[in-house]
Amino acid sequence: MPTVVLMDSSLSMTRPVSVEGSEEFQRKNLAVHGLTMLFEHMATNYRLEFTSLVTFSSLWELMVPFTRDYNTLQEALNNLEDYDKTCLEAALQGVSNIVQQEWGTSCPCQVVLVTDGALGIGRGSLRHSLQTVKQRVEDKKFPLPFPFPSKLYVMCIANAEEVLYINNSFSQLIDQAYSPFHAVLRCGNLTSDVQVFPRPEPVTIDEEVDPMPRTVQTDLEIVGFIEIGDISSPPVLSRHLVLPIAVNKEGDEIGTGATDDTEEETPTNQMAGKSPNFCVLLHGSLKVEGMVALVQLGPDWFGMLYSQADSKKKSNLMMSLFEPGSEPLPWLGRISQLGPASDAAENPYGEDDSKSPFPIQPKNKRSYAQNVTVWIKASGLQTDVQKILRNARKLPEKTQTFYKELNRLRKAALAFGFWELLKSVAELLERECTLLPDSAHPDAAFQLSHAAQQLKLASSGDSKYAAYEHNITPMLTDFSGGGGADRI
Amino acid sequence: MRIFSVSHKTAFVVDHCPYMAEPSRQLIECDMLTKSRSQGVIPLAPVSKCLWTCAIECSMEYCRIVYDVYPTKKLVNYIVSDSEVHILNSWKQEDQNTQQLMTALAAVGPPNPRQDPECCSVLHGLVAAVESLCKITEYQHESRTTLMDTADKVANRGRIICLTNAKSDTHVRMLEDCVLETIQEQNKRAAGSDRLMPIQQCELVLVHIYPQGDETLVSDRQKKELSSVLSSEVHSVRAGRYLACKLNVLVQQHFDLASTTITNIPMKEEQHANTSANYDVELLHHRDAHMEFIKSGDLHMAGSTSRDSGLKETVTLKWCTPRTNSVELHYCTGAYRISPVDVNSRPSSCLTNFLLNGRSVLLEQPRKSGSKVISHMLSSHGGEIFLHVLNSTRSTLEDPPSISEGCGGRVTDYRITDFGEFMRENRLTPFPESMVDAACRTPVERAKSQLERHTRYWPMIISQTTIFNMQAVVPLANLIVKDTLTDEDVLTCQKTVYNLVDMERKSDPLPISTVGSRGKGPKRDEQYRIMWNELETLVKAHVGTSERHQRVLDCISACRSKPPEEEERKKRGRKREDKEDKTEKNGKDTEEKGWTTDSERLKGVMEREKDEQSECEIIKDSPDSPEPLNKKPRLDTEEQQPPEKSKGPVSLLTLWTNRITQANSRKHQEFAGRLSSVNNKAELYQHLKEENGMDVHENGKATR
Repeated sequence: MPTVVLMDSSLSMTRPVSVEGSEEFQRKNLAVHGLTMLFEHMATNYRLEFTSLVTFSSLWELMVPFTRDYNTLQEALNNLEDYDKTCLEAALQGVSNIVQQEWGTSCPCQVVLVTDGALGIGRGSLRHSLQTVKQRVEDKKFPLPFPFPSKLYVMCIANAEEVLYINNSFSQLIDQAYSPFHAVLRCGNLTSDVQVFPRPEPVTIDEEVDPMPRTVQTDLEIVGFIEIGDISSPPVLSRHLVLPIAVNKEGDEIGTGATDDTEEETPTNQMAGKSPNFCVLLHGSLKVEGMVALVQLGPDWFGMLYSQADSKKKSNLMMSLFEPGSEPLPWLGRISQLGPASDAAENPYGEDDSKSPFPIQPKNKRSYAQNVTVWIKASGLQTDVQKILRNARKLPEKTQTFYKELNRLRKAALAFGFWELLKSVAELLERECTLLPDSAHPDAAFQLSHAAQQLKLASSGDSKYAAYEHNITPMLTDFSGGGGADRI
Repeated sequence: MRIFSVSHKTAFVVDHCPYMAEPSRQLIECDMLTKSRSQGVIPLAPVSKCLWTCAIECSMEYCRIVYDVYPTKKLVNYIVSDSEVHILNSWKQEDQNTQQLMTALAAVGPPNPRQDPECCSVLHGLVAAVESLCKITEYQHESRTTLMDTADKVANRGRIICLTNAKSDTHVRMLEDCVLETIQEQNKRAAGSDRLMPIQQCELVLVHIYPQGDETLVSDRQKKELSSVLSSEVHSVRAGRYLACKLNVLVQQHFDLASTTITNIPMKEEQHANTSANYDVELLHHRDAHMEFIKSGDLHMAGSTSRDSGLKETVTLKWCTPRTNSVELHYCTGAYRISPVDVNSRPSSCLTNFLLNGRSVLLEQPRKSGSKVISHMLSSHGGEIFLHVLNSTRSTLEDPPSISEGCGGRVTDYRITDFGEFMRENRLTPFPESMVDAACRTPVERAKSQLERHTRYWPMIISQTTIFNMQAVVPLANLIVKDTLTDEDVLTCQKTVYNLVDMERKSDPLPISTVGSRGKGPKRDEQYRIMWNELETLVKAHVGTSERHQRVLDCISACRSKPPEEEERKKRGRKREDKEDKTEKNGKDTEEKGWTTDSERLKGVMEREKDEQSECEIIKDSPDSPEPLNKKPRLDTEEQQPPEKSKGPVSLLTLWTNRITQANSRKHQEFAGRLSSVNNKAELYQHLKEENGMDVHENGKATR
């Protein structure tokens, strides 16, 4: 979840805060101090986070584009200049643009606004913005809420009494938004301590009658395995890296061993690299076998673990979160009903791995899979009539298809109450009968007049002939029993 | 869309009064003469659908789209009204399909123009629709029963779509008033019933249908609140394609749908098989599939065009070759069911059949310039086609540290293939709802417990294990993890053990890792001791599962060559006592991290051998050397096994001891008890067990 630090660099930030018995600070100094804390924390504990620095006064400026290089961010922070008045709306619009340009509108972002709480004056002040908020045209709307999922933290460097709390409030921010998410990945008795990055956010489902935010539990339990082809690019809420971490006996984290490529290899890191870790085993096998592991994230909430390779062929263990609920993917069915394949009476994957129990077939076929009849456009009706006529001209070879198409048309016409069509098609068939060439098979004439007569009967609405389930069957004739029903 | 929104229940009320038999006057030419046959033939008169037919096919089209996009939880109740009410289906999920409605409609048939118009009215249907909306659906029922005390939070909302031919605006007002009154009445009734729910919100959509060429007698009216519960809107539409278009717009509004047109679909021409032309196919789906465009205000940039009614917009996406394969895992942020607008047109059915055959198509945003952006994918799962939304923006997870750089990343001998096999054995499969095992566990709980059993002893790297590198152990290793064993399974396990005994006798080499040790690694007998220990650890981890599992352990204990612990301690050199003690304890500690012990032990052994090469002779007397007492009976039973045949290095002392014991053993018959003893301890009253079935004497020694 990328972060934008939006730093107030208006003149009011240079106001001094006097703390008894110490040298004089500007509000700006305090803000920089707090942000330094944040950057230092992220550099050691949350290194994969992309952060950018934007400063604003009446204008805004992107000081550092999204980066993981915290030295650059720190440097820019140390060289801030002071400008004119506070103009929050423009700055927020700027943040909105920067984020959308880089990450689109679906990627959740965090915005940390550091300001002294001055709202600005005149045009562009927050007061002015809010007064006019209802009179905006479509493309000049107030930038909040952002079009992307976001969290806005306002760090207010306010007055002397609160100076002591600067450290506190930034620590709170760190705890809340930037503390690494540690969990235990479990597969039966095989376990690994992991960090999940970025932190999985609580999810609230709108569908629920009583919506409660769901959080990912710190015990991630694998329930079984599924082929990639079977899980088939499922929709996910978010994706996370699963990084194995070494935890020493006192429970202190040593580190992910690798997040820091600039750092020297410490002996502990080397040790961690050399002792077998379940994540690495799991990743290797998932990659080789082309499978994913289904993992339980909480009650009625699941996700999947898989191997993901980037363009540089570096590969990693990833976790994607499904929508909470008992049936996140229609083609898997209810997750609680998935059990070990070995429990099934017959191996659902086949002895030679040629079969699969997935995807689950829904009870009813969708319209596009069942040859429905739609005559809303004239062309639909014309095509169906033409099909019958085409087959009529190839009787008796096409007797089966002729009656199949005829019955399809008959059923639809009866359902739609379109009896006039039945009469018309009957007439068409009768005319076809008269137009038969001399060379025609004698059976053709019999079938055509039989079909025409049946349609006419159906169009009378007589329940004996107009029953929907009734099918017109080929007439049995002396000529080879056209319909395939041979006479003896 | 929340589950119990207005669109949870839709009641269709279709007027079946005599005037609906009026022709729509939209003429359809169904006699399309081909050129060659047109001479001398008078074409048949074109046909015209009646108002009823128009209403039915458009409403069926509405239902078709709803059922395609929402196979569950969006319910339609279809009502036909003339002199009485015909309710064609119920809210039950099993009644929700077009085939059933078609069958019922065929039974109703077109309106009878000769019926007395005075006794026919759409009012009957509207009243029935309100009554029906009060009826609880299975989803509402389920939700109410699970919520219990907060059951009143389950909402009851619905929509009535009435297709009729009204006389005038006053007539329309009369219909609205009737619905409003009925709702008030029914809500009172519902308040006192368990199977009924009062209607909280109802949308009435009145569609006035009139023949083409006529002037409308009813004016359109936007949605208006008639009361806190009822809102109403009036659409006055000409029959035929105007009506179809109107209902298509309505279904999109009612069910939050949006339209995507797939363009540039290459299709072979029917006539010229080797040429191909490009076609467009329009699909409907939930509008969230366009979320990225809507939010970024890119809807128009993405190729959206306004069409026909002006209300309808479609986003154009381009068919993209090359296609994707199914084993690729795309980062997909949403998947939405689709329904083709023109379901049985040739381009539509070509596209849907292509997808139903299991192929997927990537879709690209048409851009005037710049790189190509793939934003969607069409793919079918189990006969249903989904529009997948693919993430097309920069990933925040780019350039992550590779797994090989992290914890455990330097280890090179993971049992990747074995774990792959393990994953295949633990693949999931769906079970029917009714299938619950004896302990009332759901299938997913059974899956978890199977994983637990299968991983009780599972060394992660090759150098940590001996038995899993041996083909000979496979049958036992596969069986012992099972929840229940048959007698046959036990026999297979025992055979595996005998086979190992045989291997040991022949001194077959074992695949013991020599990683980390200089020289040749441990001696052959030491190798077997490690192997037996590991096998015991594996089986001990499962011994609590059943009595048959215990029998497998008993068999191993009886067959393996393990020195009795008491003597072990006495014979051991004092200086290593502490160290050995620790390993020994670990060896017993099978419940927890049992498998680390063997590698530790192995390491210990190797170290010892390294610094004590000189003391080699004395070491042979250590507990690590084979115990003659146990070996003796084996020599006895398996008759000929000349010691000189054994391969590998054998110390002089061993040779000597073997010879002596062999000679001694010929002189007397061994006590039956000692023969079958485990660590020189024999179990008394074994016959009691024998009466209950087979037991420890599988090797057949004691029976003699």
